[in-house]
Amino acid sequence: MEKENFGRHISELMNQNLEDLFNHILEMGGLVERQFEAALVALGSSDTAKASEVVAFDKIVNQAEMEIDKLCSRVLARQQPTASDLRLILAAIRIAIDLERMGDEIVKIAKMVVMFGHSDKDIACSELPGYGELMDISTRSNQMLKTALDDFARVSTEGAGELIQEEERIDVIFAEAMADLKGQLRSRPDEVECLMEMIIALRAAERVSDHARNVIESIVYLVKGKDLRNMDQARLTAFLSSLDEEQA
Amino acid sequence: MSEQNVGLAMDRDHRGMHLGQEKIAIEVKDWNLFYGSNQALNGINMSLPENRVTAFIGPSGCGKSTLLRCFNRMNDLIPIVRVEGEMTLHGEDMYAKEMDVAALRRRVGMVFQKPNPFPKSIYENVCYGLRLQGINDKQVLDETVEWSLQSAGLWEEVKDRLDANALGLSGGQQQRLCIARAIAIKPEVLLLDEPTSALDPISTLAIEELIFELKKDFTILIVTHNMQQAARVSDYTAFMYMGDLIEYTDTDTLFTNPSVKRTEDYISGRYG
Repeated sequence: MEKENFGRHISELMNQNLEDLFNHILEMGGLVERQFEAALVALGSSDTAKASEVVAFDKIVNQAEMEIDKLCSRVLARQQPTASDLRLILAAIRIAIDLERMGDEIVKIAKMVVMFGHSDKDIACSELPGYGELMDISTRSNQMLKTALDDFARVSTEGAGELIQEEERIDVIFAEAMADLKGQLRSRPDEVECLMEMIIALRAAERVSDHARNVIESIVYLVKGKDLRNMDQARLTAFLSSLDEEQA
Repeated sequence: MSEQNVGLAMDRDHRGMHLGQEKIAIEVKDWNLFYGSNQALNGINMSLPENRVTAFIGPSGCGKSTLLRCFNRMNDLIPIVRVEGEMTLHGEDMYAKEMDVAALRRRVGMVFQKPNPFPKSIYENVCYGLRLQGINDKQVLDETVEWSLQSAGLWEEVKDRLDANALGLSGGQQQRLCIARAIAIKPEVLLLDEPTSALDPISTLAIEELIFELKKDFTILIVTHNMQQAARVSDYTAFMYMGDLIEYTDTDTLFTNPSVKRTEDYISGRYG
């Protein structure tokens, strides 16, 4: 299916609404990308002022989700979309929810920076165990978000296979980091509070990658009409390699 | 990253429509209509906005077509009909004694459920109203025929056979021809009474798209049994039931969050 298909209805209003929906999702995705990048900068430089901005910015992301909901409900109630149009509406609603939740997770990372900045303990985030993994997972998750949004913009599933594999790699990095932090909790009882913050932030960064995977699954549903959620590993692998073959 | 720097395009799009912000074409005040001793419309009050599409929906017998026919005094043709109240078109009393009914009907054109072209050529159908007004200048007629057919989205299909009999056109084409005929005399308001109920789905979509285009030049009032059609084409929707105007608001609100339970029941198929 090509993106141009969404602009070929007899109803000009329908074309306009669907075009707007594409733009709104990309715009909201762009907001979350910006929010994530700012959080990473704040994290890297222990900049509490920037981290506070990231927290406040979440309001705008939430507002964007509400606008998308409004547009989707209008199209559903007034234009009775079917087939790929209906899948676009369903995908857009799901993607907007995932983007909004990504924003919430990013806020958790930013709040850790704020907490460390205001703490009387003489320790920076970057000195804590797990910091390297947090930066690694965050950078990878942000890249996943970019890939997913690129695919959405082109109504393509090109990045799906790689993105799903990346999410699984992140799960492994996360599990290793958590195992290490559990050990640290036992050996550094004075720093439990700080270590707990790091665990929360790591978990948040990992959750962003889960949401990015959800986004690509919604895009696969939009383009192929296939629901990847809860698909067993063997069928998923077969489906993803069929996508790769198609693209090759 | 500052909140002020983020200009969300979505904030600016899709602003809701509000009757309070519209220029009004037709004003209806305390409007009652009786067929003999039977009251068919009960104290209707509404303001119909200019250059917008307003749809009237409701079950059979709710009075929507009766009300539509009041807007160009078609009900005058029924001897037992009696009306009360006030109806103005751009401030002029439409039911004033001195009102010339033929002139009013030139200002408020109408298209009916079944396409009803005259058994004449396509060209003569479109310029019929102009000829009635005594306009016979070939250039004026040619220009009007082309403009009307263009506006009705029919020009490309018939421009090479304007002399052909209109009855040879398909149903959808005949209905667009009737719309072309109605707009040829440049009315202010266009009344559409179930304009697509005799057409196939694709011709229906073509007419709906046409309605969307025509509102730039005309105020459009449409009666339809098809709720989905009202949802698709109209800016405002009025829900009527047993001669009462139950709810009248912008179409987005009426179809996503109506304020009256009876409206909700009807549009969601719980009526009866």
